[in-house]
Amino acid sequence: MTTAAPQTPVPPAPGPARGQGRPTQAGSSAVTRKAQARLGMLLVTPLMVLTAVFLVFPMANAAYYVFVDFNGIDPSPPWIGLSNFTELAQDPDVWAAFKNNVIWIVVGTTAPLVVGLAFALLVWTVHRGSRWYRLAFFFPYVLPQVAVGVVWGWIYEPSRGWLNRALEFVGLGSFTRGWLGDPDTALYAVLGTAVWTAAAFVFIIVLSALRNVDADLMDAARLDGTNSFQRLVYVIIPQIMPVFLMVTTITLLGGFSVFDIIFVMTGGGPAGATDVLGTYAYSSAFQLNRISYGTTLALIITVLAIPFAVMMNRLQRRLSLQGMGA
Amino acid sequence: MKYQKARLDTRGKLRLTGKHFLLIALSIVMVFPLILTISTALKTPSDVKLNPFGLFSSFSWENITTAWTVGSFGNYFLNSFLLTVPSTLLVVVLSTMGGYAFARLPFPGRGIAFYVVVVGLLVPFFTYMIPLYFQLRGMGLLDSLLGVNLVLASTGLSFGTFFMRAFFSDLPAELDQAARVDGASEWQIFLRVMLPLVTSGIGALSVFTFLTNWNNFLVPLLYIPSGEYRPLTTGLYLFLGGRSIDIGPLAAGTLITILPVIVLFVAMQKQVTQGFLSGAVKG
Repeated sequence: MTTAAPQTPVPPAPGPARGQGRPTQAGSSAVTRKAQARLGMLLVTPLMVLTAVFLVFPMANAAYYVFVDFNGIDPSPPWIGLSNFTELAQDPDVWAAFKNNVIWIVVGTTAPLVVGLAFALLVWTVHRGSRWYRLAFFFPYVLPQVAVGVVWGWIYEPSRGWLNRALEFVGLGSFTRGWLGDPDTALYAVLGTAVWTAAAFVFIIVLSALRNVDADLMDAARLDGTNSFQRLVYVIIPQIMPVFLMVTTITLLGGFSVFDIIFVMTGGGPAGATDVLGTYAYSSAFQLNRISYGTTLALIITVLAIPFAVMMNRLQRRLSLQGMGA
Repeated sequence: MKYQKARLDTRGKLRLTGKHFLLIALSIVMVFPLILTISTALKTPSDVKLNPFGLFSSFSWENITTAWTVGSFGNYFLNSFLLTVPSTLLVVVLSTMGGYAFARLPFPGRGIAFYVVVVGLLVPFFTYMIPLYFQLRGMGLLDSLLGVNLVLASTGLSFGTFFMRAFFSDLPAELDQAARVDGASEWQIFLRVMLPLVTSGIGALSVFTFLTNWNNFLVPLLYIPSGEYRPLTTGLYLFLGGRSIDIGPLAAGTLITILPVIVLFVAMQKQVTQGFLSGAVKG
């Protein structure tokens, strides 16, 4: 969302311009316009129907669900006004899940940004083998999250997992534990896995942005005797800032609706230690049959994310405008 | 002068070697989970019991065949295709049509129609997934190939339309004018003139959508409750439920799940990257 998205529909190229150029064919231009309108409507109809039935309609339904108490069976559920919202505000489990969400968003956004940027800078400066590096650093992102969860579960396994083995190997045996079973570490263990995939995403995007960094500016800075850190801060970062903010927005917004990886690795446990709003919404709706309550939670996730989306979008637009002016 | 330059070069070379060393080490760390999966999947069952995560300590296809037959991963594999191929085709065809219309054809109601597409792009699946379950149940589309394909398609349509619209917008206006002068109909301009020029976009969208739908977990989890058409992702999750014991077949099942993804990724890296780069816009 946000970012490069639509702004305004692209003005139609043909039509009027053609009429001006060829005044003699004004009649056929009207025919053309009619034919274009007909084809246009025909081409968008299937798209519109599918979107209306499977997206707009359930969305409207969601808006209705939050004001009733639907249990999944009752055809005419009782109207309860804002009770779902007031209950949600007083539910300690919601706040616990929200807290986990916040941790997830903060750590799960900053860590991949740093790691992904570092990877991208490294790969950017070498030529040989860059195809292999790109492949290796990007591939975690294309994998299905379930598979990722399964394998990382083994890495975190208490007795024979590679993490504990590695810790023992370097003499940190006292830190070994069942990473996913321990309420103190479970959330961070799952986060570690998420960072692995999200860093891959940041990497590929930042790398493509680095390709557009002005080479002349880099050379000039080098001639001025700057060191590589100065060039990073004063030359590279400002130029990739809009893209960097875009990645930040996406990772951050993804943090609000995180579900798959937590659901697979811990299911929200142990004892709710890794529950986030998404997993709590799911279990409310589909395990406790509190359909309306779950829907309300899911809606809250979206609503919470909106201000961040708007803010980041504004910041990013301002930056890219500045970039153009400079 | 010359000496100095030579010295700088050796320093630069050393530095480059150091970088490559670091990069290789890091890429091994990144790829390690994949290595672990392959290693465990290809062990003998007895070796899995003793030493499940030791790397490449034995070799056998047994876990793969067990997962494929006893573990139903053969069925899941087929189901994944049945859920991914039609939905991907649907997204690509309808998005190309819609993208063309929004980019080049003025038609009444275009503003509103475009607004609907924007909404589809902005609203996360999460927001409406629960009501959609009951809607599908009411329509008799729960647990059906048709229903899940339509849902998967609808989640990708908005992005696809945007994606294809950008490709069509980039084509010069003179093209269709010239074709029109030659007496081509609007249909012919779309199919014969414009369509061949956006094949790279169609390729990237196809690969991207295929991967997204193949990897999708939440949609089959929610809308295939009975499991008749269960794909690899939820099949793997189900298999994981019986955890601890069957690590060998579980690793094999994981490998079966990700193998098509890896093959597609390595073979079509450019399209995948292009798709995901613009997919980023979706958020």
